[in-house]
Amino acid sequence: MKHNNFLYTLLKWPITATVFLFTSVLQADPPEIKPWFQQAVLLKSYQQSFDWRTPWEKREIRTQSGMALVVRLPVSVRISESENGNNNNLYLLTTAEIVSDATLIEVTRKDIRSPFQAKLVLMDYAANLALLQINNSKFWRNLRPVKWTPVKSSTDHEAKDIYSLKIKSQDEWTMESGTIDRMTVGHRGVSNAWFPLLRLNGISKSGQGYPLLQDNETAGMILDVGTGETKAMPAAMLLEFLKHAGSNPYQSLAHRGFIWSKLPQSSTYNHLQIPLEKPGIWISRVLPYGTGSDVLMQGDYLTKLGKWTLSHDGKVEHPDWGISLFDLLFLAHLKVGDSVKLEVIREGKPVVLQTKVSAYKENSRSVPLKIVGTAPRYVIEGGFLFQELTLNYLRIWGANWQTRAPMRLRLFLEQNKAVSIYENNKTDKSSNGSKISSEHPPRIVLVSQVIPDPVNIGYQKLSNAVVLKVNGKQIRRLEDVSTAFLNPINNFHRIDFLPGSERLSVILSVAELADANQRIKNNFRIPKLQSF
Amino acid sequence: MKPTSQGLGSGFLIHDNWILTNAHVVSDSRMLLVNKISSPKPFLADVLAIAHDSDLALLKVRDPKFYQGLTPLELGGIPELRSRVRAYGYPVGGKELSRTEGVVSRIEFGTYVHPGIDSHLLIQTDSAINPGNSGGPVTQSGQAIGVAFQSNLRLNDVGYFIPVPLINRFLTDIKDGRYDGVPEIGIETSSLINQHYRKYLGLPEDTGGILVERVVPHSSADGVLLIGDVLTKIEDLQIDAAGMVRYSEQQVTFFIEAENRQIGDPLQLQVWRKGKFINLTLTLKTPPFGSEMRNSYDELPEYVIFGGLVFIALNRNYIHSPGNITPPLAYEHWYREIERPRTRQEQVVIVTRVLPSPVNSGYTNLHNFVVSSLNGKPVRSLAHLEKILKNMPLETTNVVFESEWHKIPLVLNFKESLDQHNSVLKRYGIIDGSRIYADKNKDSQ
Repeated sequence: MKHNNFLYTLLKWPITATVFLFTSVLQADPPEIKPWFQQAVLLKSYQQSFDWRTPWEKREIRTQSGMALVVRLPVSVRISESENGNNNNLYLLTTAEIVSDATLIEVTRKDIRSPFQAKLVLMDYAANLALLQINNSKFWRNLRPVKWTPVKSSTDHEAKDIYSLKIKSQDEWTMESGTIDRMTVGHRGVSNAWFPLLRLNGISKSGQGYPLLQDNETAGMILDVGTGETKAMPAAMLLEFLKHAGSNPYQSLAHRGFIWSKLPQSSTYNHLQIPLEKPGIWISRVLPYGTGSDVLMQGDYLTKLGKWTLSHDGKVEHPDWGISLFDLLFLAHLKVGDSVKLEVIREGKPVVLQTKVSAYKENSRSVPLKIVGTAPRYVIEGGFLFQELTLNYLRIWGANWQTRAPMRLRLFLEQNKAVSIYENNKTDKSSNGSKISSEHPPRIVLVSQVIPDPVNIGYQKLSNAVVLKVNGKQIRRLEDVSTAFLNPINNFHRIDFLPGSERLSVILSVAELADANQRIKNNFRIPKLQSF
Repeated sequence: MKPTSQGLGSGFLIHDNWILTNAHVVSDSRMLLVNKISSPKPFLADVLAIAHDSDLALLKVRDPKFYQGLTPLELGGIPELRSRVRAYGYPVGGKELSRTEGVVSRIEFGTYVHPGIDSHLLIQTDSAINPGNSGGPVTQSGQAIGVAFQSNLRLNDVGYFIPVPLINRFLTDIKDGRYDGVPEIGIETSSLINQHYRKYLGLPEDTGGILVERVVPHSSADGVLLIGDVLTKIEDLQIDAAGMVRYSEQQVTFFIEAENRQIGDPLQLQVWRKGKFINLTLTLKTPPFGSEMRNSYDELPEYVIFGGLVFIALNRNYIHSPGNITPPLAYEHWYREIERPRTRQEQVVIVTRVLPSPVNSGYTNLHNFVVSSLNGKPVRSLAHLEKILKNMPLETTNVVFESEWHKIPLVLNFKESLDQHNSVLKRYGIIDGSRIYADKNKDSQ
């Protein structure tokens, strides 16, 4: 027994010491909960996305819950046609994911039981941010905008401590604590944007749109609580979003305008006429948007971005975050519209390029990534359902679409039309050329299915066939299909498909098409044969 | 060397002391043993001829004593639908001969699993055909009417056998001591069941015909048939609007007329072109890129090693290995030649992996890099790549491999690559820096 008691004593002391240390360093007083009753509200959305297989129909309704933060737009920012029920330019900020494709958005204050209906006024799906308004002055009474603070980034452990709200019920709001793991550059598979993001530890009960608190002020907003990893948008980017909210057309957040690679070894430097001792990154592709897209060329070797020297792996000595990817400069040091010098080595010679920081732009891909908030576009002629290839369409193959969707269609997405189907056996100019000027690259138009009718007997096995031409006219977007059907050739319509399809051509009779279209519309209860 | 494994199958004696079996029973074999019915004594046998495209092989036993007391089976013809057949063999091994009975339930074209891409005539029966039956005879009235060869996991009680016309074609093909392969016409066609398409083409009433929508470059049809032709007759057989012909009381695809012939044989065609019927003759060839597109057996893969980079030629076996269906490889293997005819090189050369060494530091994670050119010269094949490397002037500074799929070229220092060549091979226990089969590659000469 004595022996056991001795052990117990020995073990007890260090445990006590550990508890003491945590109490003194990590468990600082949590922020007061009460002010948040006026700064954050609960949000519930009813979402109904479109069915991209039968694009005139919608899918099951689902609900999501989260929070929205009360924010004040800068005085200069006015959102047109906005009647917000208050005179203080107050809006609600939340994530795009929670309100996309919403049929109803309900917002509940802590102190008022009945929900208010909110309206979506702006969504940046790539950045996963959305702005809501509520046209009811009662809702806004006594609400106050959140106080923003830049994320404190010193290497001091204390500065890494953060808090967020934890909502058990409408009445029971508490705080939970966590830490900042790191500031990084984040990307969602549903868009092509890479923005600075915070990765957090310890925040597991919060949800989308919850505030991220540092010293009683708002340092960011939680975007998602994923599988073991919580991500938040830092305040600097949120403020940028609010600043851009009034721009028409809306301008997204600052973004790089190129894709880059690290050069692998000295022989590559030698071949590309780049001095080995000169650090920098190789521009492997110029994007149709973003910083530098107007002046850079594929093959340029970027050595300096503004006053920051780039390392061999794209990092800079960031004033706040230490050695980090250069994209973190878009947090505070490079804002949309700022002039910036780019120093490059082009064909062996140093060149200085002058440009302006510019923003991310959706809609710049041949295969658009996830489209939300708008109905799928389609045209039906003779039972042939024409659609543009999108990520939404590929996702109709379910959770495993990346292996189950037709291979050729997946290739278009993955390579973003790396191999052209339009350029007469040449490789796509956009992949080799120096600059992309096209605002709207050609889209991949499919006959996704053939809706059965006597007019299309013999063609009904056709599905997911890429359309090359209709009546001899090249098809580069859905509008081209409608136009081409206005010009039949000798009383017939001819559709040509990409080789490899179930069949490569079909013919429809002009004389029978109108009747067939009406028959198909009635038989399959299709409200419109063309979505636009 | 990978561990060896054993496989069991069946076979039967035909004329000239030949044993007929399936190619998949003897593929990649390093030793073949044959047992007679109910006999424990194995006899060593050799493969006389093998046809991977039609899953057939001929064996001969070394010891003449094996043949004592054996009577060869005669080959019959195509059975009638619903007629009774018997399948013999050794399902899941076993010591005694198994005999099952059933009826012929379907005669049609279908995929032969062994080559992976080839479709030929096959006969479906409900007689049980299980693993181990492969290579055994299917009989009717005492004659062999086929070789049992595959089943369909999605269907119950269904087995398939290779019909006699394809067996006879194989036996004729090898008479000159070499197997040339099953010829193909080299076209892709679409049905003309839709009446509007028929009116558009101005086809006379009651004319069948199938629309030619693609002519495969370098194939039998290349230079003879044109896109937009309507194929109405093949030899003496009328082709219907779905592309079927009457063949031994069955409707089967018109390709049957090509597959029973030999390479170099003529084939008579009638087509509807620009509003009139014309007669054409083509000379039958094997399909282009056949060895890359179908499963390969019996040979070790070709490769070239330079600067620690391991180059191989893309083929079906490789792309179906786990993790290799990447966009560049899938496009090069399946879609390039279809979408951009005549742009595929003899072989698609890729860097499959890198053997880490100082010369290739920075590239060690490189995988599946498709090589388009080497120091500006388009690379046509593995042998061509080796030839360019061998003929490279010694004063060359860098070896630059470019790819349509990778923006950054792959650059190695030439002298260092040569200097480190032997040490790389030694470090990784590789005996030869390359393996190229001369008979496959004219470029190596």
